[in-house]
Amino acid sequence: MIPIQHFLVLGAILFALGVYGVLARRSAVLILMSVELMLQAVSINFIAFAAYLAPQEFRGLIFAIFVITIAAAEVGLALAIILRLFRNRATANVDEVDTLRW
Amino acid sequence: MVGMEHAWLLPTLPFGAFVVLLLLGPYLPRRGDWLAIGAVAASFVLFAFMLADLLGALDEGHFEGVSSGIDWLRFGTFHVTLGFLFDQLAAVMLAVVTFVGTLIFIYSTGYMKGDPRYGWFFAAMSLFVASMVTLVLADNLLLLYAAWEGVGFCSYLLIGFWHERRSAAEAAKKAFITTRIGDVGFLIGIVLLWREAGTFNIREIFEFAEAGGYSREYLTLAVLLLFAGAVGKSAQFPLHVWLPDAMEGPTPVSALIHAATMVVAGVYMVARTMPLFDLADPIALNVVTSLALVTILMSATMGLVATDIKRVVAYSTLNSLGLMMVALGSRDVTAAMFYLFVHGFFKALLFMAAGNVIHGTDRQEVTQLGGLAAKMPQTAAAFGVGALSMAALIPFSGFWAKDAILHGVSTHQNALVTALVAFSAFLSAVYMGRLYILTFTGRPRDHHAYEHAHEAPPNMLLPVLVLAAISVVAGFWTFDAVGEALGFPGSIGKFVFFEEPEELKFPSAIAVASIVSVVVGLAVAGWAWWGEARPARVLGERFRPIYQLLWHKYYVDEAYQWVIDRIVLALGRVIAWFDRVVVNDTGVDGTAGLAFFTGFELKFLQTGRLPNYALAIAAGALIAAAVLLAVRV
Repeated sequence: MIPIQHFLVLGAILFALGVYGVLARRSAVLILMSVELMLQAVSINFIAFAAYLAPQEFRGLIFAIFVITIAAAEVGLALAIILRLFRNRATANVDEVDTLRW
Repeated sequence: MVGMEHAWLLPTLPFGAFVVLLLLGPYLPRRGDWLAIGAVAASFVLFAFMLADLLGALDEGHFEGVSSGIDWLRFGTFHVTLGFLFDQLAAVMLAVVTFVGTLIFIYSTGYMKGDPRYGWFFAAMSLFVASMVTLVLADNLLLLYAAWEGVGFCSYLLIGFWHERRSAAEAAKKAFITTRIGDVGFLIGIVLLWREAGTFNIREIFEFAEAGGYSREYLTLAVLLLFAGAVGKSAQFPLHVWLPDAMEGPTPVSALIHAATMVVAGVYMVARTMPLFDLADPIALNVVTSLALVTILMSATMGLVATDIKRVVAYSTLNSLGLMMVALGSRDVTAAMFYLFVHGFFKALLFMAAGNVIHGTDRQEVTQLGGLAAKMPQTAAAFGVGALSMAALIPFSGFWAKDAILHGVSTHQNALVTALVAFSAFLSAVYMGRLYILTFTGRPRDHHAYEHAHEAPPNMLLPVLVLAAISVVAGFWTFDAVGEALGFPGSIGKFVFFEEPEELKFPSAIAVASIVSVVVGLAVAGWAWWGEARPARVLGERFRPIYQLLWHKYYVDEAYQWVIDRIVLALGRVIAWFDRVVVNDTGVDGTAGLAFFTGFELKFLQTGRLPNYALAIAAGALIAAAVLLAVRV
């Protein structure tokens, strides 16, 4: 059996890549993809802990299903926003979108 | 048949007239003056019936007054009644209020004719009569206090009746604020009496006090505070300053409120609560006497130099109020009430006659009057009667009353007090003689005013002449035979103190001394002011500092002004600074400013840039993780 550490390290790497993407990228679409990476990292952790700690139960798996569902809905919403943004501003660069402030 | 149990109707009638005039006044014919006169005249008629009922009860023997009323306030077992007590003391006062009131209302139809606020004048006067009658009839101190403030408020309204004139508005404020100073003491005194006795009812408080419910010091303090109210309302030193200024009001107001009724409310109140003063430490009555003596001497001397005809009469009112208070200080309620009774007639007479002069000439400085006896003979004669009553010449009513006071003072006080009171009798003869001489005799000093002078119309002359007649005869009530002939149990003393009358005696020594001092006083006035008034002018030059002192009213107003400017306002500025800087700027605006400043500074964190937020979240998460790790380790 593969030790749990492998899953956790994979999750951490994925999560760090996601964080890096969110911080470093300027394109809204790429940032959105990075967020998805972070969500999947969390899902891997849930499943790994579920398999190791309570293999007879589905609680961790249900969480993973939920994360995927919500991520799908969220991507639908976010892409719609980005689409509108692009229609209005002709850009998807988040550095140029800063009117929502004081 | 209406009787004493209908006492509640007495204030209700004028109050009803007030309400109707207030709501419908402009739509009534003649602006409703007939309604106000009718209401106060009806009160007088009702009073006459009640008096007849009272006399019938007196004939049957034992009588303690009739109380009637309804529950006013009720808190559990404690309740206050809207109660009226009709007894002899109230009857004496009501006779003045309703009778003189009726005459003054009639007089006002002439004096106030053509005034743009004619209807409002009668409305306010009706409200005053209603309050005054309530004050007289109140059987408990709370109702008394309410009516007490009611008359003060009406006084304020009517002094400031011509409020377009700045001096009138100032005088109204001065009167209201000055009397309020005394009223604060009055209210505290009432609360002190109630705190121990648990009731506001005057008679129950007497019973409680007689049973020894109050300690002596406590009662002394309470009655002194009650007296503070009387000092303000009855214009005793040191709160006398408002009364001369109150002459800014229309003359009928001066006659009704500042001569016959409201200003004697203080005397009446002290007379009502005399049993408490009796039980208290003698210091209380000594304070009454002392302040009254100062008032008498100050007002009598100020009357010597004042030139405004109404102001001189106002000083004579101060003088009279002081006399009544001295009588009360000597425990002589009969003499005080007797003086109050006749004073109501002759002082209203003096004011209304002075009002005729003002109405006829449009002048009120005696330096612009003179020789008016030829132009307005009836007014001159009536004023002469009033002046001689005030000067207390035998056989005018003032003589009998002042003699009663002198007798009371001489039996209860030391020789110095008696001498001072007698000296004031001399002074009042001098200044009343002076006022008459300067106004009605000699050569006219303002020819334009003299040419236009005319006798007053009948509706102003008639009340004056009626009062003049009464001022001549009212004093004879001091004799038992006169009282019995009129259906009373005897003299005013026997009427007021039915159970245990105080004898009114006339020791010949006092009567002779009184007559001599009055005659000498009138002679001095004639010598000094008749014709060219040369001796008066010489004396004024010779004793210039004294003249200045009197002319400036002993600088009391200036002293108060100094206190207000330097102490009250300085203190006020400190408090205003505290309020502005500490309470407002720091407390209220400071809190708001802090929130605003914080928000203003913090808003720049909102850059609107997604990466900044993302970095903040990531950094925050890292720090939180680091802290958690550190805590666990």
